[in-house]
Amino acid sequence: MLRSLLVLRQIAQRTISTASRRHFENKVPEKQKLFQEDNGIPVHLKGGVGDALLYKATMILTVGGTAYAIYQLAMASFPKKQA
Amino acid sequence: MTHQTHAYHMVNPSPWPLTGALSALLMTSGLTMWFHFNSSTLLILGLLTNSLTMYQWWRDVVRESTFQGHHTAVVQTGLRYGMILFILSEVLFFAGFFWAFYHSSLAPTPNLGGYWPPAGINPLNPMEVPLLNTLVLLASGVSITWAHHSLMEGNRKHSLQALLITISLGIYFTLLQTSEYLEAPFTISDGIYGSTFFVATGFHGLHVMIGSTFLTICLLRQLKFHFTSKHHFGFEAAAWYWHFVDVVWLFLYISIYWWGS
Repeated sequence: MLRSLLVLRQIAQRTISTASRRHFENKVPEKQKLFQEDNGIPVHLKGGVGDALLYKATMILTVGGTAYAIYQLAMASFPKKQA
Repeated sequence: MTHQTHAYHMVNPSPWPLTGALSALLMTSGLTMWFHFNSSTLLILGLLTNSLTMYQWWRDVVRESTFQGHHTAVVQTGLRYGMILFILSEVLFFAGFFWAFYHSSLAPTPNLGGYWPPAGINPLNPMEVPLLNTLVLLASGVSITWAHHSLMEGNRKHSLQALLITISLGIYFTLLQTSEYLEAPFTISDGIYGSTFFVATGFHGLHVMIGSTFLTICLLRQLKFHFTSKHHFGFEAAAWYWHFVDVVWLFLYISIYWWGS
């Protein structure tokens, strides 16, 4: 209830576009509807499929990178003797 | 279906603090690998994951505020405190470098010749490009104030123009400073003069780039109608940061460029 009141306040104060020949339309109300849907999805995934892909990519790179860093640390800790 | 009965923001669980912390590990270990083993894989991985984290974290903040309405007055107050404290921490960061400069320049050691600028150093003329840089940043302070007033008055065209001018001036500063760095007759390895000069102005330049990026995000958000005339804290935070960057330059100009020559 509180949230929908806040949204109404924001829409009422939104700058109305008079430049109809420009590319930019106000898509904020659509976004507000999408992100306020009561579907239990956390905000970082709520935008759609693209969110999940970007999240997976970030996780793979960070966790994989961490494993690689630990591997490099192990390699650096035991210097190879010169033949 | 439960709803909160308070005005605070209880955030959804988020993976970005974890990925941010891990990216910091990758950046630091990456620097080590680059310095000591001539390998840049970890460093690049660190920079990439850091950028991904920042993009997604701040994207989520925009979603939580503009699209979900979580930024009530009390939440905004908290964000204001947060930004002020962050800028204060940056002031202290720069204070260290100014301390180093004044420590070295107020009592120049015998091996420098006992005077400042040290023997063999030809400092840059403060009345040439450094003065232009000062005027550029001062002008950008004026344009960003114009942008803010236009935003508060609901003048979309003017707020966009003024933001664009501010960003352009920031980029112009960066280009001028890059040219100065390439043309300078001294380098970072030219004793304590070189170290204090390039570390202090270098970190300042980095902050100009960060500030310009923040302002560009604001420009994109203003284009997309995110800001209202009454509620635009993201823009205000960017403006505060920009003024801070300008003030740091003024201190650099007076201390290092002018007094220090």
